[in-house]
Amino acid sequence: MQKKNDWRAWLYLAPVIILLAVFIFYPLISTIAIAFTKDYNYTAQSGSGFTFDNFATIFETTYVDDGSGNLTAVYSDVVKYAIPNTLIIVFVTVPVSIILALLISVGLNSIKFLKKIFQTIFFMPYVTNAIAVGMVFSVIFMGGSNGDGLWNTIFQTTGYTWVDQGAPASRAMLALCVYSVWHALPFKILIFLSGLQNIDKQYYDAAMIDSAGKMKIFSSITVPLLSPQILYIMITSFIGSFKEYTSVVGLFGRAGTLSGYNNMYTIVYYIYDTISLRQVQYGCAAAVMLFVVILIFTAIQFAVSSKRVYY
Amino acid sequence: MEIRLKNLTKVFPGNPKKGIKDTIAVNNLDITIPDGKLIGLLGPSGCGKSTTLYLIAGLQVPTSGEIWFGDEEVTRLSPDKRGIGLVFQNYALYPHMTIYKNVAFPLTNLRVEENRVYKVDVPAKIDSQGNVVAPAHKAGDIVLDVDGNPLKIKRKLKPEEIDSIVRKTAKLVQIEDYLLRKPNQLSGGQQQRVAIARALAKSPRVLLLDEPLSNLDARLRLQTREEIRRLQQRTGVTTIFVTHDQEEAMSISDEIVVMKLGVEQQRAHPQEIYNNPINKFVANFLGTPPINFFNGNVKENKLYINEECVLDLGEKKLADQEVTVGIRPEGFEVDPKGAMHVECQNIETLGRDISIVAKHPCCERPMVKIIIDADTKVQAGIVTLRLKPHKVFLFNTKTEERIW
Repeated sequence: MQKKNDWRAWLYLAPVIILLAVFIFYPLISTIAIAFTKDYNYTAQSGSGFTFDNFATIFETTYVDDGSGNLTAVYSDVVKYAIPNTLIIVFVTVPVSIILALLISVGLNSIKFLKKIFQTIFFMPYVTNAIAVGMVFSVIFMGGSNGDGLWNTIFQTTGYTWVDQGAPASRAMLALCVYSVWHALPFKILIFLSGLQNIDKQYYDAAMIDSAGKMKIFSSITVPLLSPQILYIMITSFIGSFKEYTSVVGLFGRAGTLSGYNNMYTIVYYIYDTISLRQVQYGCAAAVMLFVVILIFTAIQFAVSSKRVYY
Repeated sequence: MEIRLKNLTKVFPGNPKKGIKDTIAVNNLDITIPDGKLIGLLGPSGCGKSTTLYLIAGLQVPTSGEIWFGDEEVTRLSPDKRGIGLVFQNYALYPHMTIYKNVAFPLTNLRVEENRVYKVDVPAKIDSQGNVVAPAHKAGDIVLDVDGNPLKIKRKLKPEEIDSIVRKTAKLVQIEDYLLRKPNQLSGGQQQRVAIARALAKSPRVLLLDEPLSNLDARLRLQTREEIRRLQQRTGVTTIFVTHDQEEAMSISDEIVVMKLGVEQQRAHPQEIYNNPINKFVANFLGTPPINFFNGNVKENKLYINEECVLDLGEKKLADQEVTVGIRPEGFEVDPKGAMHVECQNIETLGRDISIVAKHPCCERPMVKIIIDADTKVQAGIVTLRLKPHKVFLFNTKTEERIW
C-alpha cells in the first residue's frame, strides 16, 4: 500500500470504527471500570475509588437469625439461581442439541426424496423470533388452572404445571431446556449440512470398499471430517448458552415461576435486572465474571480440541 | 481369481422432460479376465472404462448383465463383500488418519474365518452302558460338526496381526518411514503407494486401479508403473487398471482391452493389438507418434495412394474399392526406388531416430509423421519412400473395420 492512500483507507474504515468504538469498545472498557468502582452512582456516573466489593456483593451470603440464635444462610440470587441455571443450560442443552443436530443433518444428507422440503422445515425455527417461539412453547407447556397444553396431553401428565405460576424449578428447567434445544437446532443443522456436503464422496466409497459398517463410517469418517464444524458449533453455542436470556423471557415472561422468586434467573437475566434496579455496578461485576469464565472455558475447548480436529 | 463380465450394461438414465438422453456408459461388455494377470482397460475419456471398474468394484450397480469372480456371482453383492482393493484416481486417503491408520483401516473391518478349536481339555462322554458317545478332546483340537467337517468361526483380526500386516505391506510398497505421517505430508508418489498399500493390505481377490498414474509427474509415472508391475507379479493378484494413456497400458499390461463408447473393441496382448489392430479406432488409439491415415484405392489387388502404386497386396486378395490406409510412422523407408512421394517439411533428430514431418495431399491429418533410422540421410524437399507391408493396414472407409 502506498503511503498517500493511507488517509483514504482510514476514511473507508471510519464508519465501522466509529460504530465499534461507540457501541463496543467504550461500553466494554466502561463495564470493566464500573465493576471495580466503589460506591458507583448510576445517576451521577461517578464513584469513589477502586474496590472488589461489587464482586463480593453478588456472591454474598447473608445469615439471618431465626430468633432462637440459629443462623440460616441466605444466598444471593446469583449464587442460588443464576449460576446453577446457567450451568444447567450450558451443559445440558449444548451437548444434547449438538448430538441431535448431527444425527438430523446426517439423516437429511442421506435422503433424496423431499430433501429440500425437510431442510426448509428444519431451518424454520432459525428465522422465527425467540419471543414468539417462547410464547408458543408456553402454550405447549401449559398446565394447572389454565387447562392442559400439548405436552401434558401427549405425556398424560394432566394438571402438571411447567411454566405457569407455581411450577417447580426442576420442571420449569426441563421445559426451558426442551425449548432451548429446539430453538438451537436449525443453525447447527445448517452448519453441519454444509460441512457434510463438502466431504468428498470418494471417502465414503473408499470406506465402503474397506468394508466399514454404517456406524464405523459415521464415527471414523463423518465425525472426524466434520470436526472443524463441530468445534465451531461447540464454541459458539457454549458462549451463546452462557449468555442465555431471551428464552427465559420468551417462555416465562419474567424471572421465575413463583411471584417474588427469581428461580429462573440466568446470569445475563441478572445483569439486565441490575440495570432496571439502577445497580449497574453489580451487573458489570457479573458481566466481567461471565467474560472471564467464557474466556477460560473457550481456551480449554481450543486446547482439548487442537489434537482432535482435522482441518 | 478369474473375472468374467457377461453382457454387462450400464445405462445412466437421462431426463426426457429436459431432453437429456440416456447415457449408455457400458454396452454389452463381455470380457474374461484371466487369473493373476494385469489387464489394462484403455480408451479415451468417456468410453466407460472407469464405470466398468466401478461396476466390478460394486460402487455402481449394472443395468443388466452379470459379474462373476471365479465361480461366484457377485453382480448384486455390495462392495464390502466382494473382497476387492480399489485405488482411486486421487487416492482418497483418509486425510485425518495417519498412514498407518489408513493402511490398517480395512483390516479393522476384516473378518477372518478359522477353525473353531477347543479351549480346554474335554473329557470323553460315556453313556450309562459304558459306550463312548463323544471322544475326549485336548485344548487346541479342532471342533467338528456332526458330518465331521471342521466348524468355522469368524473373528476380527487381533491388533498384533493388524500391526504385522500393516508393516509387511508398508515394506512391500516402501512406505515404512512415513507410517506416522498424515497423507498431506506426503508427495503424490508416496500417497499413491499408500493407496496401493491400503488396497493390498486385506489381500484382495482383485485389485482395481483407476487411472493410477494420472496425478504423477512424468518421471514418477515411469517409476510407479514399474512398481505396480513388480507388486502385481509379487502378489499375483488379478489386477485391472484403467488408463487413457496407451503407453502406460502397453508397457505393463499382460493384456489390453481397448474400449470405445462402452463397447469393447479389441482385447489382446499389447504388441498384438499394436501389430494387428482390428479397426481404425484401435489403430489410431495406439502408438506414439500416431498412425498416419491416407485416402487410397485398391485396383487390381494393388494399393494406390495419390495415383501412385505404393504396394502390391499380394496373396490376400482384395476387391477394387476405396480404402483408408493406415501406415505406422516406422512403416516407411527412404528408398529412391520407392513409389510414394512426400514433401518433407521438417526434420527432427531424436538421437536414435529421425522424425520427419512431411506433407502429402491424401493424408487425413495436415502432416505425415515418419520415423526412420538415424543413419539415413534425408534432405528437405521431395522424399521418396517405400512401405513396409506389415506396417500398413487397410480399413473400410465406411465401417472403419480392417480389411487387410
